[in-house]
Amino acid sequence: MTLREMDVRLPNDLSQMPALVARLDSFAEAADLSPKATHRLQLAVDEFVNNAVDYGYPDGRPGEIGVQVRCADDSVELTLSDDGDPFDPFTAPSPDLDGTLDERRIGGLGVHLIRTLARSFAYRRENGRNVVTLSLARDAA
Amino acid sequence: MQIDRLVEGNTVVTVVKGRLDSSSSPRLDEMLAVIPDGSTAVLLDFEELTYISSAGLRVVLKAAKLARSSSVALAVCSLTPQVHEVFEVSGFSSLIPIHQSRETALASFT
Repeated sequence: MTLREMDVRLPNDLSQMPALVARLDSFAEAADLSPKATHRLQLAVDEFVNNAVDYGYPDGRPGEIGVQVRCADDSVELTLSDDGDPFDPFTAPSPDLDGTLDERRIGGLGVHLIRTLARSFAYRRENGRNVVTLSLARDAA
Repeated sequence: MQIDRLVEGNTVVTVVKGRLDSSSSPRLDEMLAVIPDGSTAVLLDFEELTYISSAGLRVVLKAAKLARSSSVALAVCSLTPQVHEVFEVSGFSSLIPIHQSRETALASFT
């Protein structure tokens, strides 16, 4: 039987990341995702959870991050949510990718990677939570 | 993540295996912060690097900047297709030479 869905709730710290990475790998294997599709899935979750943990709770309060993954016929649908401060990651300016080595700034690439590698993405604020939905190509060669 | 460092002639080869993410990247950052005396080139061998995130890219960019300011060549080699994709999307492929294999990379330094 193919595992088609996973739904995980995490505290807003990175202690659960290794377990989450392992679960995503098992999920990707069960769903027969290609190495590229698996990498994109891991990347989207990793970047999102790190951003939420690093910037969503500046007062240090405990919070909850949700990671939901569902496999459709030709896509992987990802819903990432957190109860951190309101923040739409897709309003962040795109990094300058054309600069020379000296001009390139260190950092700011996470959201750019997710936005570029996803087929579609959306943000909404709902019931006190930031909710990001992403659609990733399932058959990325 | 596992990091191995070896010297080939005047080139320091750093072999990174496993996941390069926010939890592991500080270790690589620390190792790449020093370019050993007498080295004229730095090669990052990513043949067994299974995963890289923006935190990993950050460390690679920092190393490339350090190499440039030290007049040392820096290149990466043997990227898997999924890691290569991240290099392309981040624009790094136009900043940092990418070689198919360690051999071609080492040959490019001479």
